[in-house]
Amino acid sequence: MEVTFKVHRYDPATNGKGQLQSYMLGIDEDASILDALMRIREDQDTTLAFRGSCRTGFCGDCTMRIGGKNRIACSTTVGKSVKDGEVTVEPIRIINVLKDMVFDAEAMVYQKYRAVEPWIEPSTPLPQEEHLVSNEVIQDLRKVMSCTMCWLCDEGCTTMVVDRKFVGPAALTKAYRVVADPRDSKTEERLHSLSEEKGMWDCCHCYEATEHCPKGIDPTERIFALRNQAIKVGAGSTKVRNHYRSFGASVKAHGWLDEARLAIDTEGLTNIRGQLKQLPLALKALRRGKLPKPYFLHKKRPGAANIKRIFKLWEKK
Amino acid sequence: MPQHDIIVIGGGFAGMRAALAAKEAGADVALVSKVHPLRSHSSGAHSGINAALSPEDSWQAHAEDTVYAGDYLGNQDAVQVLCQEGIGDVIKLEHMGVIFSRNGQGKIDLMPFAGSIRPRTCYVGDSAGHIILQVLYEQMLKLEVPVYDEWFVTSLIVEDGVCRGAIAQELSSGRLLSLDAKAVVLATGGLGRMYEPSTSAYTSTADGQALAYRAGIPLVDMEMVQYHPTTLMGKGVVVTEAARGEGAYLVNKDGDRFMESYAPETLEMAARDVCSRAIETEVAQGRGVNGGVLLDFRHLDTDRLEDRLPETTYVVNKLSGIDIKKEPVPVRPAMHRPIGGVQVDVQGATPLPGLYAAGECACVGVHGANRLGGNSLLECVVFGRRAGEAAAAYAGSIPLRKASESMMLDQERLAQDLTARNSGGDTIGSLRRELAATMHQKVGVSRDGAGLREAADKVGDLMERYGRVGIPSVGGPYNPSLSTLLELGYMLDVAQAIVASAQVREESRGAHHRTDFPQRDDDNWLKHTVASRTPDGPALAYRPVVITHRQPQRRTY
Repeated sequence: MEVTFKVHRYDPATNGKGQLQSYMLGIDEDASILDALMRIREDQDTTLAFRGSCRTGFCGDCTMRIGGKNRIACSTTVGKSVKDGEVTVEPIRIINVLKDMVFDAEAMVYQKYRAVEPWIEPSTPLPQEEHLVSNEVIQDLRKVMSCTMCWLCDEGCTTMVVDRKFVGPAALTKAYRVVADPRDSKTEERLHSLSEEKGMWDCCHCYEATEHCPKGIDPTERIFALRNQAIKVGAGSTKVRNHYRSFGASVKAHGWLDEARLAIDTEGLTNIRGQLKQLPLALKALRRGKLPKPYFLHKKRPGAANIKRIFKLWEKK
Repeated sequence: MPQHDIIVIGGGFAGMRAALAAKEAGADVALVSKVHPLRSHSSGAHSGINAALSPEDSWQAHAEDTVYAGDYLGNQDAVQVLCQEGIGDVIKLEHMGVIFSRNGQGKIDLMPFAGSIRPRTCYVGDSAGHIILQVLYEQMLKLEVPVYDEWFVTSLIVEDGVCRGAIAQELSSGRLLSLDAKAVVLATGGLGRMYEPSTSAYTSTADGQALAYRAGIPLVDMEMVQYHPTTLMGKGVVVTEAARGEGAYLVNKDGDRFMESYAPETLEMAARDVCSRAIETEVAQGRGVNGGVLLDFRHLDTDRLEDRLPETTYVVNKLSGIDIKKEPVPVRPAMHRPIGGVQVDVQGATPLPGLYAAGECACVGVHGANRLGGNSLLECVVFGRRAGEAAAAYAGSIPLRKASESMMLDQERLAQDLTARNSGGDTIGSLRRELAATMHQKVGVSRDGAGLREAADKVGDLMERYGRVGIPSVGGPYNPSLSTLLELGYMLDVAQAIVASAQVREESRGAHHRTDFPQRDDDNWLKHTVASRTPDGPALAYRPVVITHRQPQRRTY
């Protein structure tokens, strides 16, 4: 089929702003977008810059925006992307573009990946043979490690949009891989360092990472798993732990969230200064009629007993 | 200008394993790669890594299978190293953090693989390559090995008969820089882009083979080009051998399991060359389905497929929309891996002092004329490690010398000259596609003298036309012009060596099947082909096969 590819061109050396350049190409509808870009580079314009390697969805190098949607170019066919004979190809959005579709992967991807120290530190001395590990654990780790570091989850992350320094779901998923590995001997240390600022507690659990992951790895749930473990070893700030516990306790007791109590618990009942700090906010809420009822007036929701039963079942498990 | 004791070129298994070994030996080593190491094509190795771990198995049995599958062209001393040391190297991978699939006792589980008499392949579902690649990179971070990623190597620095580093283009800036080193390890992988169809990445362009070949190092056994029998039709993506290991059937258009007539004992589990030829024969005799055959999973337990072949299920569905549990998958053979490569000894040393090579770009001679599935990853970790160790020992014994200014100036002038050429209608793409079609048709699963002559003429013609293809510019940030053009040049040089080697070997052995010489001929051809570059094209010489105690026998499956 004849397709016009409208491809983002940006050259820091010659022009300040990116623009779309059109290339006409006769190409199979089953061909991938990466195939098409490679054809353009080899036949029409050798200066066209984009990343891409394995062409089979394993290396994660060719993430870009195709028809306005974040996609892996080698796993996206021309036929499915074309609209009125055209396909637009652009770089992903939330990071500095270096040229055409090439973005600053070092800042976006690799720095964060290194920051979680993603290698296991087994106890010494090492066993003579392999470590004994159950295949169930391996299957879970395998799922996590099927991550190709395409960074679609970070691209979808709502925290990252406001704070690019957040370590992000991709690196945290990688962190989960080492924390969940029974051969690693530094689990507790890791949980403490992952609880530092810009770490796991900055996730706002919007589930966008899970929505965006093409491999079904469920990064959001991996972050929750890390948090649960962190609570157990006392990692994270006292406030964060209080908040986490109060949230659960409130839903367990009343079937829904007691916001007033959450605010008080988070600061800590005996933390007078912390409680005072909340006063201006409380007064503001009061003026707008949005102050939650004091917690001793908070009512259970209908069916709260059933919700409590769910909690108990889960706790037993 | 970066300076190190050792630079490793290539960031896949062999490269990273070499770098880690050199680092552990105390050397100042850095890795250079045209893509980030995590994007290397080792991630596409789905199957697994062989090691005689089970108590019923032995390295000798593994060596036996390897030599037999290689149709007795394997160097048996190297095969012994592979199978004997490989056991420790696989355990070392586990200690580094590789999450091999386990058996009921929590030990590494082993899978049966085509061509092996016992289950011997350590696997991780069907994504061993992707997992091992990540773990090796984790170790690179742990040991703080510097990586120059997205640097494209344009030539080796060879002065006074010694290799002293490489010249590379830093893609982020477009500058040509020298990487001075006492020793260089080539680990650049494959060359599949010169074939179509091929299972290779866009980045597999014969870089290391060509860099060495141009520096005067011979290429060994280049006629041995392995096809993978089952790749997804139209996509060239491997449908892993584990699929047949799990019991998937190969069937033709009449629904017959045709392997019964080609390998009555082992059926689908026959070695790769046997299966590839069987499929091509079925197609040639009119029993194919759209130029291929079908791989049928439907009789297999779906839960087990989920566990053993999740990535295969995902990729086949993603790329062709087929659910392997419900429909048979159309497959055909595609070029998979060169078996020959840069001439090295068991330490990974090439004949040029200071230059080492390992993995897919090298030929230490373990695979003979046909490679067993699962032996490639093993080769990378065993001989990658050995090359790293040997390079470190060598680098410890000599001083570092900087490359001369004139060499850099030459490179820059050569690169600039490329912008003044007038291509006259040819593009990099048009030449590459012509090359790839010729290589597949004439130097593919089956060859003959006339076809090879045509291929030789064609490659010669393409080389001449290549000399006229220009690029608009050389430098600037992320300008792929120079690398894209040089990659094609690398492939043409190496293609010429492949064709010439295939022309001289007048017999059929392993992956090299000559329809005009259908028999194996031990009297004349139990030897390696050795192709060297001369101004008049490749010059062929021969080396004896190292036979320690396994005498050639007839190979049947």
